[in-house]
Amino acid sequence: MTWLKLVEGYMPMQMISELAVCILVFSIINYSLKRAGMGLPKFWAGIFVWCFVNLFYLKYRIYPPIPFSVRAIYGTVSACGIFMWVSGSQQEWEEFKRPIINVLDAKTGMTKFIRTALLILLPIGLWGFAYNSFLPSFDEPIELRTVHPAPPATTKVHGKTYVLQTAANPYRINPEGKYDQAYSNAHIVSQDMGRLMKDVKNPEDNPWDPNAKGYIKHVREGGEIFFQNCHFCHGDNLNGRGLWAFAFNPIPANFTDAGTIAQLQETFVFWRVAKGGIGLPGEGFPWASVMPPWEQHLTVDEIWKVIMFEYWHTGYYPRTWE
Amino acid sequence: MNGIQFDTGHFEKRMVMNETTTAGYGRRGLGAWLLSCGLLFGGLGFATTSQAEMAEGFAEGSRPAPPSAEQVEAGKRVYFTKCVWCHGVNGAGDGPGADRLWPRPRNFNAGTFKIRHTASGELPLIDVDLFQTVTHGLPGSAMPSWEGILTEDQRRDVLAFVTTELVKDRSWQDTEFEEFHVLQLEKIEPVPPTAESVKRGSELVKEMKCIECHGLEGRGDGNAFNLKDDWGFSIQPADWHKCWNFRGSRQDAYNVKNIFRTFSTGVSGTPMPSFADNTTVEDRWHIANYVNHLCERDKDVDIAGGNVTDEIATALVAAKPRAIDPLTDKPKVDFVVPSKFVEGELPADEHDERWNLVDRRIVAMGGQITHKPRNFVTRIDDVWVQSLYNETHISFMFRWDDRTKSVQKDSVDWEPYEVNLGDYGIEEQPPGGSKFADDPEHPESIAAKQTAYQVFNDGLAFQLPIKWQELPAPRKPRYFWGDEGFPVDITKWTADGELKAYQGAGWDVDFEDRDDFTEQLKVVKAEWSNGRWTVIVTRPLKGDYEEDAYIELGKYIPINFFVWDGHNGDVGRKMAVSAFYYLVLEPPIEKETYIYPTLAAIGLVLVEGWILTRRANRRKGKV
Repeated sequence: MTWLKLVEGYMPMQMISELAVCILVFSIINYSLKRAGMGLPKFWAGIFVWCFVNLFYLKYRIYPPIPFSVRAIYGTVSACGIFMWVSGSQQEWEEFKRPIINVLDAKTGMTKFIRTALLILLPIGLWGFAYNSFLPSFDEPIELRTVHPAPPATTKVHGKTYVLQTAANPYRINPEGKYDQAYSNAHIVSQDMGRLMKDVKNPEDNPWDPNAKGYIKHVREGGEIFFQNCHFCHGDNLNGRGLWAFAFNPIPANFTDAGTIAQLQETFVFWRVAKGGIGLPGEGFPWASVMPPWEQHLTVDEIWKVIMFEYWHTGYYPRTWE
Repeated sequence: MNGIQFDTGHFEKRMVMNETTTAGYGRRGLGAWLLSCGLLFGGLGFATTSQAEMAEGFAEGSRPAPPSAEQVEAGKRVYFTKCVWCHGVNGAGDGPGADRLWPRPRNFNAGTFKIRHTASGELPLIDVDLFQTVTHGLPGSAMPSWEGILTEDQRRDVLAFVTTELVKDRSWQDTEFEEFHVLQLEKIEPVPPTAESVKRGSELVKEMKCIECHGLEGRGDGNAFNLKDDWGFSIQPADWHKCWNFRGSRQDAYNVKNIFRTFSTGVSGTPMPSFADNTTVEDRWHIANYVNHLCERDKDVDIAGGNVTDEIATALVAAKPRAIDPLTDKPKVDFVVPSKFVEGELPADEHDERWNLVDRRIVAMGGQITHKPRNFVTRIDDVWVQSLYNETHISFMFRWDDRTKSVQKDSVDWEPYEVNLGDYGIEEQPPGGSKFADDPEHPESIAAKQTAYQVFNDGLAFQLPIKWQELPAPRKPRYFWGDEGFPVDITKWTADGELKAYQGAGWDVDFEDRDDFTEQLKVVKAEWSNGRWTVIVTRPLKGDYEEDAYIELGKYIPINFFVWDGHNGDVGRKMAVSAFYYLVLEPPIEKETYIYPTLAAIGLVLVEGWILTRRANRRKGKV
């Protein structure tokens, strides 16, 4: 059933296309039944579509699950849409209303039975629903945490003060030994699926090439540090799914997501890595994060190298000031 | 024909191989050679055709086609981007990450792979076994699922590279020595998991001596310290109660077929043999059904030391699998730990019926990797928590799997309240790089240390904020023993029988004893049995407001947990830790809960009457 799996990063597209296919299939069935003279009653078709979308698709298919309040909004919107659909013309509206009126009038044995059953079941159902909502429930409280809080102007690491506006990664250098972001950007992994190194045979692209030197050699050194220290939480693919990711809350950052290091300056990452969870301002929940203050474990050089590796391995460029 | 069969071709193959394998593999060489000679001569009495050699449920498989040079080259690009960091440049399982991992990354050189459909000793199927390993990962190790990260082609490419360039001692194309006898898993009809089948399985695991390693209750506590893999690194038997950690679980933890496969083909490179030759297919299903139903489900069924009665078997079969979180492939975690009210005395042991009133919660544990000494290998990855309370006290029952009961024997230089044990030589595993790779018994290697740590006390602690009522939400004291200005109430139990109340004020600040409260704490039960600790403790709901956390009804009280495994060298800050959970004492149901729904229902009846009357009047009017 792998084709049914929602793939990370492709989930919204998958969802939209799945719903589109469902609508298409439904329309085809509806149309052909109509051609065959067995058209679905609007009443039942409307109920079916609403139930399918709200009680099945949004509830069970979407992962991670969406909260009830959001589903309630979708439910209301889709109900409005269905009403518009069934009330396109006076005749259609009458057709839609007919089953309801029939039950209310109860002229046949069947409708009489349905009416009596509904009269009894509806209050009982309402009682149960209300009882459930009055029962005290203890769901996890929602606490909104700022993932990327405003950084300080300077940070002091291993006795030296770094100004976040002006500090630069000393290992992001071109073959001439000068700071060169364009050079390093040209030798990160490719951005297509898999995010692989550009050319395994080129010593400028392959950190493991015996002739690798300068920037790409420092990437390898950063990778070694990453795989001795960071992958336990941030994962072997830097996607925040390490061995212990499931044990911690907040969950480890996913560097392959466009919302993390890709939208941050390298110096911001340097500050976050050096100071860790405990160094966050209050809105970042410093009490809950298990992110180590890496200045306790790594040297400044090691921190710069591991950051460079993270950008190399995810194929992102650090954001710049201009 | 069941019973023992001899595969002469297979043993000849081994004899030749022993001359060509690496030093690491050769460790077993002489023994294997002598054994194979003995069996070879012993086996000559049997007529062996290819068909007769095959164990029940296997069929002749086909040899994979050799990959193209382009595919190998493409795979090299994948390998050196993604895999090399753990598996190393030569695929010897000695990448930079290797020495802080246990289990260690696979050494590909000898062509030994754990999870296979092929018969014992044979190479795995590349398209099936290795492809699934790359796709689904190996849970319980650091090997992740690469599905959704690498395309299907990229996964096949990297296998082309690994199987041709990094498997050095054997070859899939070696027509002289390599044969493929494949377990026909899809064609074999499973035996339904009935109570009879499960009970029969519980008897078979004793007859087949599975329990010698896996333990009487299957918690992997049978032979925790003497097992080594082919390279000499210490390894541990699987804990059957955590099927989501089975290497071969293929992101489908409760699927019995995975267990049947592992049991039929064995786990190459480890002491886990294939049982295909000496069990019938039917018996293998019984065992697989039993093992599968031991995996933790909604109900905690006591299996009485593995003496499974009809009643126990029925309860095992009736229990429902737990929901597995597809993001983590582990049981879903609920961060609210409920506590329910009971009248009278709190339970005296784990058999009290009243524990059934409240759900048990799984608390996921990870290594403490925030401050030194960091713990890169935790042997305890979850704890089950239940709680009940009465008018005055609250009781917690903690149950967790720990393969070893660890009680400190030698005296130590530090006091129980001290937390900075670095001064006493408690240090973290050095990164190592690849320098220990050639020597599994290198005293610095983590795998060598796993069986050689000084034994400290097993332990468990939980932490509640002192005066949490005054904390503006969502502020909490730091998860790691509080911080300055926000002290925490720590209750710590250790396996020497101590249960003490401490105050914590920071990760590097020594605890302060809270002696008055310690006197009011009680260890109701603390027992290690067949690989599992059961610890029940009670504490008063209230103590001194200034020093002890007041536990109040209906409030979300932050709580987190710490566990130490004494045989893992866990002591001080070296331990496993959880995220913040919330302890909630659920208050008894109030009257309003019944009154308002009744009013609403009556209202609806009135509305119904009004609608019907209106409709009836309208029709009359129209007529």
